[in-house]
Amino acid sequence: MIESFPTASRLSRRRLILLGAGAAALAGLSSRRAAAVLKLDVTQGNVQPVPIAVPDFVTVATRDPAAGRNVSQIIAANLQRSGLFAPINPAAYIEKISTIDAVPRFPDWRQINAQALVTGRITESEGRYKVEFRLWDVFAGQQLQGQQYTTTPDNWRRIAHIISDAVYERITGEKGYFDSRIVFVDESGPKERRIKRLALMDQDGANVRYLTRGDDLVLTPRFSSSADTITYMSYGQGDPRVYLMNIETGQREIVSNFPGMSFSPRFSPDGQRVIFSLQRGGNSNLFVMDLRSKATTRLTDTQVIDTAPSYSPDGTRICFESDRGGKQQIYVMAAGGGEAQRLSFGDGAYSTPVWSPRGDLIAFTKQTEGKFAIGIMRADGSGERILTEGYHNEGPTWSPNGRVIMFFRDPGGNSGPALYTVDLTGRNEQVLKTPSYASDPSWSPLLQ
Amino acid sequence: MAREWGMRTAYAVSATGHAAVLLWSIWSLAARPLPAPPSEALPVDIVSVSEFTQITAGSKSAPQAETPKPLVETVAEARPVDDPTAKIDEKKEVKAAREPPPAPESKPVEAKPAEKPAETKPDPVAEALAKDKKPETKKAEAKPPVPPKKPAPPAPKFDPGQVEALLNKRVPTRMAAAGEMPNSMPRAGLAHANAAQMSLSELDALRARLAQLWTIPAGAKDPQELVVLIRIKLKPDGTLAAAPMVVNNGTSALFAAARDSAVRALYRGQPFDMLKPEHYEQWKDIEITFDPRDMIRG
Repeated sequence: MIESFPTASRLSRRRLILLGAGAAALAGLSSRRAAAVLKLDVTQGNVQPVPIAVPDFVTVATRDPAAGRNVSQIIAANLQRSGLFAPINPAAYIEKISTIDAVPRFPDWRQINAQALVTGRITESEGRYKVEFRLWDVFAGQQLQGQQYTTTPDNWRRIAHIISDAVYERITGEKGYFDSRIVFVDESGPKERRIKRLALMDQDGANVRYLTRGDDLVLTPRFSSSADTITYMSYGQGDPRVYLMNIETGQREIVSNFPGMSFSPRFSPDGQRVIFSLQRGGNSNLFVMDLRSKATTRLTDTQVIDTAPSYSPDGTRICFESDRGGKQQIYVMAAGGGEAQRLSFGDGAYSTPVWSPRGDLIAFTKQTEGKFAIGIMRADGSGERILTEGYHNEGPTWSPNGRVIMFFRDPGGNSGPALYTVDLTGRNEQVLKTPSYASDPSWSPLLQ
Repeated sequence: MAREWGMRTAYAVSATGHAAVLLWSIWSLAARPLPAPPSEALPVDIVSVSEFTQITAGSKSAPQAETPKPLVETVAEARPVDDPTAKIDEKKEVKAAREPPPAPESKPVEAKPAEKPAETKPDPVAEALAKDKKPETKKAEAKPPVPPKKPAPPAPKFDPGQVEALLNKRVPTRMAAAGEMPNSMPRAGLAHANAAQMSLSELDALRARLAQLWTIPAGAKDPQELVVLIRIKLKPDGTLAAAPMVVNNGTSALFAAARDSAVRALYRGQPFDMLKPEHYEQWKDIEITFDPRDMIRG
């Protein structure tokens, strides 16, 4: 008994050890199975342009054999100008796309470091183009997007813009802005006798069309949310007036016919009202007119200069410029008028505030020490940033997606103004080619 | 003279003594761990600042930082043990009913048991092993219930020599359980011993690689839509074992774009050769949160 006791105890200890070892092994196994997944936070990314390949679209029986190349070139140019894409030189392409029904050879495209690939085909039948395209994710090896459109052959540019928008939206997650137009003031002739005409063009500068003949002085054209109507100010005989014009039919209509000078008109987001400022004596105030009832409502009643009103995209608020505090500053008030709240507090004078179609930002012109800058601030006045600065920059207008601002820049001297775009980062600034000098651009919404 | 000499000696002795005490105290006192509550060890890589910068910069040409093996100086030679788990099982065989049976079967409990083993020093374990080798896991696990049935026989067989034999036997077993390399990583020895971590520089290098490849939509209005959670399984060579699995979801176009961009970064980033093969267990399964909100001014 005495003898067996230690034995038993030893044995049991041994057993314990063994059991323990077994248990440890099991625990090891199970803990390995449940092995906490390694967690990693990546909080930094890059903002480099996405390399994209846009080989010529395949053409089938098109009247213009270059149609495929033209379309792909417009797409590549659009994407490049956005600053978010870096189209790859077609000379580097390894695979020649001859059909869009087969999966591309992704390794060929990976080798030239394309992250995305756009293939397409244009087929003409019965006088109409059918345009198909596919967007491929080269590294994941899958199709991201595939669409087809049918249109008349002379509409091929628009199709290219629409495809650009689809690619842009799929890769960046934001709506595109390529299928849109710009109305602006075309300026020609010598400096002292400038002829100013309203002109319309695609956002890439193509298809320029003149809307007025140049007899009257025209200023500040603005698009309606419907993209087929503009409002602008014109000096004909007598006081300047605010007009409406249907850009498809050319039909014109006077908005305001009051004594005094009305100017800086802008549409409400629903296109039903026009807000403008009316100058009487030495001061100017804001008014809004309902386009159907023609009823005009006064929004401000001050002895100062309130002007350049712009609606928030939801139509509930208005930002405008006012010198009620001494210098010109940006203020915000409810769409129905009332107490205004000052937004800008920086040095210098702020003018021409424009609410972003996204609602989050307000673009403005800022004048300090003889320089004009284009900047943005949040809708609450915080986070002011200057995007571009120089001798004379003015008249910001937002792209339909609120990522790009167009403005005009006048270098001074004997030359004239030109249109520029800059994106929200301020890094991607580009000039837009126009037939002549150009100013006062207004960007349309996306076309329907 | 002699006195002076003696003094000098005394000085020398004193100086040496002090120095020794000083050194001893520096080493022993300073090295004494703080009586802090047990916490997991934080693996630290000795990397010079410049090397670290280069690694985190994600440069392909940056020199590989040499990371010393944390705990073990030498790595044990591979024992002739091909399958660790199998060994554990063999050991289990030993434990229970195996060895008792032979004795009681041959002779009654009373007489010899003590002598025999003492004289010849046989290795009962080895015998037992030899007799019935059933290195199957299932069997081994099934065994434990058996021993209680025959509690008596083993008792008389006790002998220190046997214990020794058993202990000797255990050596390779333990080695086997630990694998070929005894322990290449520090473990704090806590119950939840998961202290074995990849070095921070490995993680940083991985993070840097992904940050370099991940294109985020700049100036997006809803940055919270850009947060993407992706789980990846990696092969030991650092390439993806399967398509990255997106864990969270969103409906917006912005989310789709951010998701695809993150997945693209993962595809483009492979092989993730900054991850060391010896830590494969830790990085074979990674959950990555791509969160650009800090980057976006909104």
